[in-house]
Amino acid sequence: MSGESIMGESTRQIQKLNTRKKIIETAYRIFAEKGFSVPSSVIAKEAGVSHGSIFAHFPTMNDLTVSVLSDFGDKIGTRLHELAKNCDSTENLLKEHLKVLEEYEAFYFRLITEKNMLPEEARYTFAAVQSTVAFHFSIVIEREIEKGTVKKLPTHMLYNTWLGLVHYYLMNKDFFSDSNESVIKRYGEELLSTYLKLIKI
Amino acid sequence: MKTCIACGMPMKDISDFAANDPGKDYCVHCSRPNGEMQSFEEKKESLTKFIVKTQGADENVARKIAENMMRKLPAWKEYFD
Repeated sequence: MSGESIMGESTRQIQKLNTRKKIIETAYRIFAEKGFSVPSSVIAKEAGVSHGSIFAHFPTMNDLTVSVLSDFGDKIGTRLHELAKNCDSTENLLKEHLKVLEEYEAFYFRLITEKNMLPEEARYTFAAVQSTVAFHFSIVIEREIEKGTVKKLPTHMLYNTWLGLVHYYLMNKDFFSDSNESVIKRYGEELLSTYLKLIKI
Repeated sequence: MKTCIACGMPMKDISDFAANDPGKDYCVHCSRPNGEMQSFEEKKESLTKFIVKTQGADENVARKIAENMMRKLPAWKEYFD
């Protein structure tokens, strides 16, 4: 193979990856704005790619939804991984969790409110995202339980209580805020400090 | 950054790798005490137990979630074809 055709091949490969990335980034925004039942034509238009191009990358809307959710899981995982390894406080880990959720708040709100209407594979992928968070959470909180700084409660109840609190505020954002402001931004600190008071010794 | 072929975890520090060996493609959580990679069944069961323990899921549901996670990982592709 000549050098030129290798270049051509890799340029096409890069273009293909860029288009895929653009579609996924646009899908985040459109899912956040319109929900997961939005037609792929809307995403194609917003991403500035042809409808056919979306099908080439994601043959079904389910494929696209699953890819966006996997990408979201990778993002959260990368952010929490280093913290879980190096920091010893539940507080810092949960602060970072809130920070990621605030950045993706509109998308995450859609996700937790529409999750039960998503196809099975997408629901399992969301469960995998939450498992990634649970993995890092368990490392940090079990270390604190061992040190005697957190009450000896089952890991799943500690985790579900935290998610329950955060999700309650997100799902009822129209109750907790009169505008479109971020509920995590407004209440995050209070949720975290209250949760820590409940679980700490 | 390398990610574990068997569970997808990012591997950055030496201690993330199986047997502290950065040449390995799988992580410390996916290896047996002797450094070998766990089998498909071992990994599926450990993931299932982990999901039950950390999130309180029903065991059958947890197993399905575990299978779905493994389906996307290079180490287990052949088990799903």
